[in-house]
Amino acid sequence: MTEPPQTGAAAPAGSAKPGSPDPPAGGSGRASAVLHRCEDILLSLLLAAMIFLAAGQILLRNLFETGFTWADPVVRVLVLWVALLGALAASRDDRQINVDMLSRWLPERLRNTVRTVTCLATAAISATVAWHAGRFVSEEMEYATTAFSNIPTWVLASIIPIAFAGIGLRYLLLAAASARRVVAGGS
Amino acid sequence: MLISFALLLLGLLGTPLFAIIAASAMIGFLRSEIDLSVVAIEIYRLAEMPVLVAIPLFTFAGYLLGESNSPARLVRLTRTWLGWMRGGLAIVTLVACSLFTAFTGASGVTIVALGALLYPALLQADYDERFSLGLVTTSGSLGLLFAPALPLIVYAVVAQQMNPTPPVRIDDLFLAGLIPGLLMVFALSAWSVWSQRGVVSTAAPFSWPEARASLLEAGWELPLPLVVLGGIYTGYFAVSEAAAVTALYALIIEVGVRREISLTRLPEVMRESLVLVGGILIIVAVSLASTNYIIDAEIPTKLFELIREQVSSKLTFLILLNIFLLALGMMLDIFSALVIVVPIILPIALSYGIHPVHLGIIFLANMQLGYITPPVGMNLFIASYRFERPVIEVYRATIPFFVILLITVLVITYWPALSMVLVG
Repeated sequence: MTEPPQTGAAAPAGSAKPGSPDPPAGGSGRASAVLHRCEDILLSLLLAAMIFLAAGQILLRNLFETGFTWADPVVRVLVLWVALLGALAASRDDRQINVDMLSRWLPERLRNTVRTVTCLATAAISATVAWHAGRFVSEEMEYATTAFSNIPTWVLASIIPIAFAGIGLRYLLLAAASARRVVAGGS
Repeated sequence: MLISFALLLLGLLGTPLFAIIAASAMIGFLRSEIDLSVVAIEIYRLAEMPVLVAIPLFTFAGYLLGESNSPARLVRLTRTWLGWMRGGLAIVTLVACSLFTAFTGASGVTIVALGALLYPALLQADYDERFSLGLVTTSGSLGLLFAPALPLIVYAVVAQQMNPTPPVRIDDLFLAGLIPGLLMVFALSAWSVWSQRGVVSTAAPFSWPEARASLLEAGWELPLPLVVLGGIYTGYFAVSEAAAVTALYALIIEVGVRREISLTRLPEVMRESLVLVGGILIIVAVSLASTNYIIDAEIPTKLFELIREQVSSKLTFLILLNIFLLALGMMLDIFSALVIVVPIILPIALSYGIHPVHLGIIFLANMQLGYITPPVGMNLFIASYRFERPVIEVYRATIPFFVILLITVLVITYWPALSMVLVG
């Protein structure tokens, strides 16, 4: 019996949409490559911290019947950070989950126009969330509330406005890229 | 009304769902004259739900295993132990894919990672081409009723927001999915063996040396399903603990021991898994806000009164539910469907006397079928793309499997004991 062929299974990640044209990354050139790499490393560090803290707690609990009181809340905050930074990374090339029912059947020019509109809408909505999240963070700062172990809540929550602002910015860039394609396709 | 319609249209045109849900939540809050900074408070609740820890950890472990050579080892293992039977390779496909999907979530990864190994193997073993295409397409979403599949966890999280009585415990949900999931695997296996009975068996006979070798080869990964599933099903581990152990173990094995993923590639794999996690959790986050609005506005109550005038019996309700969920599963990805629809239908289903845990199994079984429902089920497109076949051909190939799965979904829906017998 022959072995099944080996493949690296190297590709499309879960939310990648096969068949749809590859949109350009938000931004271009070396600056954005550096930014992306920094994002990846930050994400990796947060995830690694999460794995070791969560697993470490189990080990401590089972072997020594002890544990750090701060570890569980830290792991939960890491979920928030990892989720929002992951969503920010997903926005890099428009890999947010969506319902792609109508646009896949549209002719290319119209599809780019539609994409410009949907990306602009996403940018506007994200900016609104970022703005109000920013207000929430500054209120928490003002009242100096603390979450656990005397860590101020505003520090932990600050990722919300930051991530949504970043997502908004990326969708603005995606909208600009689609708009450019509409113009280019027309000439 | 006009705004809702505009949002719906934007959604259908491909606007990311988190934006649509966030916008509708904010519009709801504006109408009720609630300060919009409440949206941030709701999003911050992601940091207050211990069970959510399981989502990034399991997803990362799944991606890591998928990127290593584990899929090939899994195929070889199931092939030597099950492949000698008549129709064995088809059963191998179903079993291996279910196991893999349980760990990676149903996101198309299974078709890409395992289908690529199994489809050529099926053809090589003289299975009918159309049958093989349909089989791998269908197998892509099989297994999402088995722990620790992400959709089960997300259902529990969303349902718990509604505080139903009886409560939805995640462990109960894991137990409830077991028999319905096995029923699906058995039904599809039986059909496969029967429909391919004419295939001249080229399968190698069972051999002890090969069986031993395949066991040894997969030795490092073998404890994973045993420890994780055993730990969860016996209640030894909480779900988030099992996730932490799985992630750490997979990291040590694939990066440290086997070295199939280098340290330089690790950030990329981590990022890829977190892109999926971020995509799911941002929808969960904004839906925490919209769910609150839905409860405040008593939308389920109003909807229920409307439905009760038309639908009197539980049976009719279940039939309508099946049709509705099937259409939904075809259009919406499973995670968005969960966060958007569960808050609305859970209270209604409760008032028809449906147990919330059973509802979860019905919901996910239907969604699973939705993945392969023509014309727009997601797996049909992924398979068409991956195996370079026209999508029409994939439709035709998948239809018999669709019918079998439809029957099992109906059985699961109308026979609650099947799901509830293991739940204490």
